[in-house]
Amino acid sequence: MPLKDMRGFEAVGGEAGSEPVSRRDFFTLVGWGGFLAAMGGVGLGSFKFYVPTVLYEPPTTFKIGPPKDYGLGVDTRWKTEGQFWVVREAQGMYALISICRHLGCTPNWFPDQERFRCPCHGSIYDTNGNVRGGPAPRTLWRAAISLDPIDGQVVVNTSVRQDPDPKSIEGIAVYVDPDGRKVKPFYLDV
Amino acid sequence: MIERFAKFVRDTQVWQSLFRHGYPDNDRNQSLIMFSSVLLHLHPVKIKRSALRFRYTMCLGGMSAFMFLLLTFTGIFLMFYYVPDTRQAYHNIKDLTSNVFMGGLMRDLHKWSAEAMVFLVWAHMFRVFMTGSYKAPREFNWVIGVLLLTFTLLLSWTGYLLPWDQLALWAITVGTKMAEATPFIGYAGPWGQQLGMRVDNDIRFLLIGGTVVGQNALLRFYVLHCVALPVLITAGMVVHFWRIRKDGFSGPL
Repeated sequence: MPLKDMRGFEAVGGEAGSEPVSRRDFFTLVGWGGFLAAMGGVGLGSFKFYVPTVLYEPPTTFKIGPPKDYGLGVDTRWKTEGQFWVVREAQGMYALISICRHLGCTPNWFPDQERFRCPCHGSIYDTNGNVRGGPAPRTLWRAAISLDPIDGQVVVNTSVRQDPDPKSIEGIAVYVDPDGRKVKPFYLDV
Repeated sequence: MIERFAKFVRDTQVWQSLFRHGYPDNDRNQSLIMFSSVLLHLHPVKIKRSALRFRYTMCLGGMSAFMFLLLTFTGIFLMFYYVPDTRQAYHNIKDLTSNVFMGGLMRDLHKWSAEAMVFLVWAHMFRVFMTGSYKAPREFNWVIGVLLLTFTLLLSWTGYLLPWDQLALWAITVGTKMAEATPFIGYAGPWGQQLGMRVDNDIRFLLIGGTVVGQNALLRFYVLHCVALPVLITAGMVVHFWRIRKDGFSGPL
């Protein structure tokens, strides 16, 4: 007895022992498959169209000169152009992004108090980025920092950010152990 | 003479096309007129007396829809003088409010109707909840209504950026930080960074077309505000009204 498909048509081309596929089912499959593949292609293309490939905005990577240009402490010279501070310690340096972690305003550096203070809602940070007061829920971001192997300049990339989960300790509202943050690429041993 | 002219007018093809049925002085003609008109058929032929009581609906849904119409018309007026360019936008708004004839009126109408629409949509939702009108068989329309509320809030939010002043800039900076905290597809959200999200490839980046609120963000919000969201909310409203028409008005029998 010949094999038949669901609609009662005789199946064609079925090998003995294998599942027969009727001509109609085959073309239905090819038709829908082609249609869905085309729609998927259009969908992916539309999505990709929506992702900008060229950005006309301030760069996120900055060459900031050799490490010897930076003395101990906080340096504010890149705040306006790059939105970060450079902090130099005895054994190395790191870059703090000058965006308040509360609502994104720009804090100011007060050398006499050794604190960053945000003018919007009064968040206070120390030089490690830990929160000493105010509403900020997390520590300041640290940007990726490295040495250019060719000309020896320090390179800061503000699009790669270190953001460890903080905790509360005595006297500091939001705290992350500064030694734990001294990892590549967010800390530069000099 | 007048009689003959009236008869001539009534016999023209234009008149016959506009008024296809006789005077609505009997049930049959009343029904035919309602069924055959695209605008009138939104209304049911017969309606429960209680549904017409002002204190039952307080016209909140109707007023929301009216606000949308008002916003569409005033918005089109504003589009003639507004360019979504970071160097021009703020000055265009200044021009509109102080120089353009009736520009201030149009902008103020647009702004205050927008505030009113957000309030009215919330109030409408509250009324529907309090009268139990969300219950079966109207539960599907409640879901459509929640979508319409979302579109209303998004329209309000995208419009907020367009004046390109400090208020706009920081409101959108703060608002898009919420998008950044989306799980999986946001840079600051749970499992975002584990999935490789960065500030330059996450959902916020797509939304504002960059890592900071700039020209791309202004243009994207403009397109969303003037094209994408109005089309979506219109489609939602069509379904919303259709379901009201099909399910009938709720209310005391």
